[in-house]
Order: sequence, then C-alpha cells, then structure tokens
Amino acid sequence: MSAFEIGAGRLEELLRGQEPRTQAEVRQVALFAELRGGALHAPDALRSRVLASAPAARRSFALRRPPRRLVLVAVPLALAAAVAAAVVHGIVGSGSGRADRAALQANLRLPRSVGKHAAAEASAPKALHGGGSSSSNGDFSTAASGSLEQSLNDKLTPVGPIPSTNRLVHADARLSVQEDSASALSSATSRATQIVGSLGGYSQSVQYSTAHDGSASAFLDLRVPVGSVQKAVNRLSGLGALLNEQTSTQDLEQQLTQQTNQIIGLRRTIAAYEQALQDPSLPAAQRVILQVRLSNARRSLTQIRRSRSGTISSAATADVSLTLTTKHGAAAIRQKRGRLGRMFHGAVGFLGIEGIVVLYALVVLSPFIVLGGLGWALWRERRRREERRLLAA
Amino acid sequence: MRYVHALPASLEPPRQMGAPAFADVVAEHLDPVYRYLVYLTGDRTAAEDLAAETFEKAFRTWRRFDPRRGAPRTWLCRIAHSAAVDWFRAEARRQRREDAYARDAAEVEESVFADGLSPALEHALRTLTPAEREVVALRVLLELDGPAAARVLGISATAVSTRLGRALKRLEEEMADVGV
Repeated sequence: MSAFEIGAGRLEELLRGQEPRTQAEVRQVALFAELRGGALHAPDALRSRVLASAPAARRSFALRRPPRRLVLVAVPLALAAAVAAAVVHGIVGSGSGRADRAALQANLRLPRSVGKHAAAEASAPKALHGGGSSSSNGDFSTAASGSLEQSLNDKLTPVGPIPSTNRLVHADARLSVQEDSASALSSATSRATQIVGSLGGYSQSVQYSTAHDGSASAFLDLRVPVGSVQKAVNRLSGLGALLNEQTSTQDLEQQLTQQTNQIIGLRRTIAAYEQALQDPSLPAAQRVILQVRLSNARRSLTQIRRSRSGTISSAATADVSLTLTTKHGAAAIRQKRGRLGRMFHGAVGFLGIEGIVVLYALVVLSPFIVLGGLGWALWRERRRREERRLLAA
Repeated sequence: MRYVHALPASLEPPRQMGAPAFADVVAEHLDPVYRYLVYLTGDRTAAEDLAAETFEKAFRTWRRFDPRRGAPRTWLCRIAHSAAVDWFRAEARRQRREDAYARDAAEVEESVFADGLSPALEHALRTLTPAEREVVALRVLLELDGPAAARVLGISATAVSTRLGRALKRLEEEMADVGV
C-alpha cells in the first residue's frame, strides 16, 4: 500500500501530524520525517545578497505606482467629475425662471401703450437696435378661451420680437396650439387660414392628419406680411391652448446694402468695359477679352439683382409655422417645477447624455476589448501549458 | 541551525496594517523559500539566484502585500514559483541552443536537496519531475495547507492533493527500487 492508496483525506491528516495506523502510513510518516530532517539553510552569501539588493529594490520602488490603486482612485474621480459636470449643467440650465416668466407675463398682459418699449427692449434688443438675428422662445400652457383670444387681439403686445418698420427684417414664428377635439382642430385650421387671409397673407401649405385613436394634427405653413405678423401671431395663438411659441427675426439691412453696393460696382465696371470697347484702335485680342469680361459682369449683375429682389421679398413676408394638435403626447411643457426641480431635471438629463456617450464608447470599444481579453486568455493558457510542460519534464 | 540577521532600519519599508516588517520576513522565510527552490530546480546555485530574485521582487512589492489575503510564506512562494518558471523557460531555450547541455554539476553533487538525506531518497527525488518535487516541498517541507499550495501552483486544491499522492507514490517506488 503506497501513498497513493492511503487516500487524500488520510494523507492530509498524516501531514498534520496524526499518528499512523497502518504499516504504509508508518512508512509515509517516516518519509516525511526524513524529508523534513534534511538540513538545508540559505548560505550566508545569499543572505548578504538579499540584504544588499533590498535598498536597490527600494529605490526602484519609488518610481512605481501600483496600478490597482490608480484604478481605485481614477474610477471614483471620473464618476465624481461626471456627476459634478451634470450638477453644474443643471444649475446653469435652471436659470432664475422668474425673469423669464415675468417677461412673458409682461408681454402677455401689459397694454400696448405701457408695455411696448419695455417688452421690445427685453425681448428683441438686437432686432431693434443692432441688426443680426434674435429669437425668443416661450413654452407654457395657457387655456385660451374665446375671451382671451379677443383680449390678445385687441390689447396685448406680441410675445416675440417685433419687426421694425425702419429696417429690413425677416421674421419667423412657430406656434404649437392644442385643441380639445379633432373637430375643434378642423375648425381651427380653417380659422387659421381665414386669419392669415384677412391680414393679407396666404397658406403656403396645409397638412392635416388623423389617427385611429381619434387624435389629429395639422401643420400649416403660412406667409404673412411683415407688418401684420404680430397681429397674426396673437390671433393664431388664441385658437386653442398655446403649447409652444418661438419667434425670431433676422436683420437683412446689411445684406441688402452689400447687394446694392455690388450692383453699383458692377454697373461701373460694365460702363467702363462698354466705353473701352467703343475705341476703334483696340486690338482684336483685347477686344475679345473685354467682351468676355463684359458678358460675365452682366451675368453677375443679373444674379445679384435677382438676389436683392429675393432679399426684399423675404423681408416683405414673415414665415409662420402653426402646429395644431389634439395628441396628449404633445402636452404642454409645464413650467411648474421650481429652480431646484429644474436643476435636478437638467442634471439627470445631462447624466443621461453622459451615460449614452459612455454606452456608445463601450459599444465601439467592446469588440476590441473582447478581442484583447480573448488574446490575453489565450496567451495565459499558452503560458500555463508551457509551464506544465517545463515542470513535468 | 537558524540564521537570523537583523535588517537595518533603513531597509524596512513602511509597514501597513498588520503586516510584519520585511526584515522579519527575510529572517523567517529565507530558508524555507531557498529549500523550496532547491527542490523545484534541483540546482542549489540556481536556487540561490532565484531566492535573491524572489526577495528583491518581494521587497519591491512589499507595500502591496496584504496579510489578510494570505501568509507571507505563500506570497513568497508564489513569487519564487514565478521566478523559477522563468528560469526553466530560459533553461529550455538555452538547452535548445546548445547541443551538449547537461546539468552535470548538479548530477555529480552528492546531496542536492538537503544535507543528511539518505542516498536512496536523494536519488528518488532526482527522478521526480520538478512539478512533483515542488508539491512535495510545499506540502511536506514548508507545511503549507492544500489551499495555500494551490494558490502558489495556480491549480485547484484537489489537483494539489492528487499531484502530491502521485509524487509520494513515485518517491516510494524509486526508493524501493534502490533497495530501501
């Protein structure tokens, strides 16, 4: 009976020092004793060598940083940075809220005589004073009744920036209005067309659609004379519950001036070419060149004139996009949250975006990670096999 | 006989919670690690080099040593095992390069594994493979338990037990052949 037949459990017991019971166990224990009894100590030279090498090792240790600790620090730091960025975004994005609402209410409630200058300065300083473009955006839920519509039509100042009559301005307005039912939406669509027509404008396009669940929506692309745009916006916003309103203006004065200057310059050039061509002593080759240049200049003049006409006509009418809907999905974006709520909402949204970015990066990197992991596992298995082969030889 | 040398204070890296001083570790574990390496390599000269390398590596990574995860001896044996495998790899490469390769010095030496062993046991140990000698050294000489030996070898505790049984069986058979 050899060690292999003693059994693993019993062998463990013998290794722990239990008394042998059989002859085989006695032999086994004697073997252990002989193995353990052999004297073998590390030579003094080795001991000195170990002690001597320790300081050198210590010096190199100072340059190393344990990677596990770095990971332990870097991961929480990255998470903290992500959360901090989200909180900052939430704080910055939340705004005061009060100022926006006050301006909106001032625009909606103040009589024209009182609120005109204040509202115009608050909402459209650039359009009125400096050129360029400006826009205002109001998201709110207002149950617009018939009286409110009348009130808007008669008394209220416009919500968005007012196109100046002194300068050439292109105005753009987008409105979303919710109706109670599909039939109300249908009549509101007709009413919107009538409103625009009565103001001298027209409907560029009307799309009307209904769904099986009874909801309906209509998208109207309207053109309104610039002088009547504020009236149109006021009337259209009173067709139902106003969900969203965006108005923007773009100053075209500079563009028009540029085009006018180009036209003047081209006219002078053309006159110069024509005068030169009248000279009989002009060599034939130069005459041909001048004729080509004259032709090009005339073509350019035609194009710029057309562009200038387009600029002027663009300033003459305003684009109004009206969306009428009954869907609950397009419910009013309520501003009932406090600043803290908006901050939290903004932070959560930002964290969501961060999550999406991380997820996207993971999706992109995952094949490489999997391949790397597979390669590493194969390399490790190969090393193990090699190790087993080396130690079994 | 036991060699106990006190390391100068400058050689002691800052110890972490519950970790012994490196000087104490050297004093306590140099002999067992050296014996383990002699059994594994069957070459005292190589074992000396590897032991020095082991303790140098251990000193470098001493701050990372966590006594809650294992005893210092297990940790040192794991480093020694890794160093020895690299040595075997280098030896195999050298063997492939050189046609006439033999560890004659080790073969002719009277006692490689320890002083005072019987010639039969010495001979029997030489016939074992390094892997078999290694498990004998870990379990019998260094008296590591099954899980600790398994951590050093990178195999399961059951595999350690099986390997040990086979090694002891071969040891007995070889000794019987010699006539003990």
